[in-house]
This record gives sequence, structure tokens and C-alpha cells, in this order.
Amino acid sequence: MVEAGTSEKGDMRVIIEEGPREIVVKSKLERIYGEAIRRTVEEVTAGLEAKITVEDLGALDWVIRARLEAALRKFRGEGE
Amino acid sequence: MKLRRTRLYIPGNNPHLVENAGLYGADCVILDLEDSVPLGQKFDARILVKYSLRNVDFGRSEKWVRINSLDTPFWEKDLREVLEFVDVVNVPKIESAEDMNRLDAVMREIEKEKGIEERKVVPIIETLRGLTNAREIAKHPRVVALAWGGEDLTAELGIPKKKALILEHVRAEIVIAAKSQGKMALDTVYSNIRDEEGLFEYARRARYMGFDGVGVLHPNQIEIVHRAFRPDEDEIEDARKIVEAAERAMREGKGVIALNGRMIDKPVLERAKKILAFAEVE
Repeated sequence: MVEAGTSEKGDMRVIIEEGPREIVVKSKLERIYGEAIRRTVEEVTAGLEAKITVEDLGALDWVIRARLEAALRKFRGEGE
Repeated sequence: MKLRRTRLYIPGNNPHLVENAGLYGADCVILDLEDSVPLGQKFDARILVKYSLRNVDFGRSEKWVRINSLDTPFWEKDLREVLEFVDVVNVPKIESAEDMNRLDAVMREIEKEKGIEERKVVPIIETLRGLTNAREIAKHPRVVALAWGGEDLTAELGIPKKKALILEHVRAEIVIAAKSQGKMALDTVYSNIRDEEGLFEYARRARYMGFDGVGVLHPNQIEIVHRAFRPDEDEIEDARKIVEAAERAMREGKGVIALNGRMIDKPVLERAKKILAFAEVE
């Protein structure tokens, strides 16, 4: 399992775990932004066979993409 | 003339602060990958900073990134991730011309690979060795300014930073080293963000010491520093006359600039231009 991001305002926490492909979106604003977030997650992680959980704290699109890239690269073995 | 009166430090792993960094009118914004980013967040921070540089509008602020120092395993990775998108690389604990050459070699490699122009560097002098070699460091063609920090330096001397009398001498050394090479000199931050009067005095003093700017930790400090760096009306008036005389001499094809029977030397003209730039007069 790898993680990226924080639980601060305006951020997103991304968790990627081994397993069949599944996307879980948690957001206080899920009704408004849930679909848009899911689309971005689908696009950035396309083809990845893993469970991807995102906890949104009001992140903008560029933040979501940055946190997803960080998590993906960690999942593929890159380190600090 | 490029102004660097204020450089606002923003923790590189905080999207909320990064997003708003361009709103406050600082001359420079520093997205920090060093001290404000804890170990364990360095990887996430450099990717977040890369995305912010590509997506956030930093307004008229020059875009800086403070990378980690050359004695860490992070600085090369920092550069590879963000160099393409920055105006200036701010590098802590530079101690020698060899350090600059080491940095330069990696930057050159990345610039070639990405097909981008040469990026500028502002080294931070933080040690006695760095201070001893400050002129050599300032001489490097990438360097546009010298900045400094007193924490390590006073620790080396075994004295508390707040009581360290030697820091006035260090300030003077930084200014002389930078200016002797035609570079800017940038003073360190005033850390009491609630003390507005103290900050004004600090920035005023920095200006008369010969510094071109100071670091700021909070957006509220920006306007105060800009005000402190604004020259007095009589300074502006004198500067305006000198610049006008220079323009007149140029128009009339005269090699010598004269004002009220007095010859104006190049450094005096440069000072006048700088005063007008600080006054934000076109």
C-alpha cells in the first residue's frame, strides 16, 4: 500500500493498494464534484490493476493530478 | 530593472497556500522544498510544486523554488522535477565555487535534455566557509543574487542567533560580495510576523545597508517591505533629474552626462535608475 497527499484543506489523500481494479471516492462535496473527481482518477490511473481510494478535502484538479502521480510513482517503486 | 524586494516563502507541500501565493503581489514567490517540508513528504512536495508551476497563476511574481541542499539525497531529484518550470533556483548552504560548479553541471544536463534556457540561481550563504567564498560564489554567471541565513553560522560560532553581534558584519560581507560582482544582495526574513513597525525598520535598514530585498514569511509583510524600500521624495526627484540628463545626453550624442555643471558617473546613473525602479516610476 502507498499513500500520497495530506488531510489538509484543499488537498487530497490518495491510497493505492494491491488488488483488483476499484476506485473509491470519498468527498464531503461528493454530490457536486464526485463525478468529476472520479473521471480524473479514471483517466490518470487508466490500466492500473489496484484499489485506488481518494479522500478529497476540496482539492483543485491540478492538486488531484499531482497527488495521483505521486501515489502512482510510489506504487511503481519510486522512493523519496 | 527586475525588483526582488520581497520573496514570499510558501511551504511546497501545502496546496492551499501554494494556490494563493500569486495573489499578494510579492516580487518573488519561493515554493519551498527544504525546511518547511518534513522528511517523508519530499517526494509528494516536489511533484505538487511541479504541477503548481504548470497550473497556478503566480501573477507578476518571479517563480522560485528552494531545493534541498547539496549534502542531501534530494537536490538532484528536486531539480529534475521542477527546473523546467522555474525562473530561479534557490539553493541552501552553498559554500564554494565547486558547489556552484556541481549544481551547474546537473542544471546544464537537465536544460539540454529539456531544451530549455539557462535558469538563474540564488545561493544562500549559511556557513563560515560559504561566507569566506561568497565573492567566488557570486561570480558564477548563473547567480543573480546572494541570500544568506544566520542559523548555521551562529551555531558554528557557538553563539545564540538572537544575540549574535557578528551578523551585522555578515550582512555587510554579503552585500559587498554580491555587489562587487554586479549581483543583487538579499537580506533574510524578519520572523516576528506581528511586529509591523519592527519589520518596517528592519527593511529600511536592509535597504540602507545595500540590500535589494528581504525574505517574507507572511503576505501581510509584503506591503510593509515595499513601503520601506520606497525611496524618499527628494531621492526620487534627484534620480529623475539624473536619468533625464542621461537621456538628453544620449539624444544629443554626447559621451558625457552633465547635470548642473557636475559630471554624472556610471554608478551614479545606475543608482538613479535603481531608485526609480524602487519608486516604481516608469
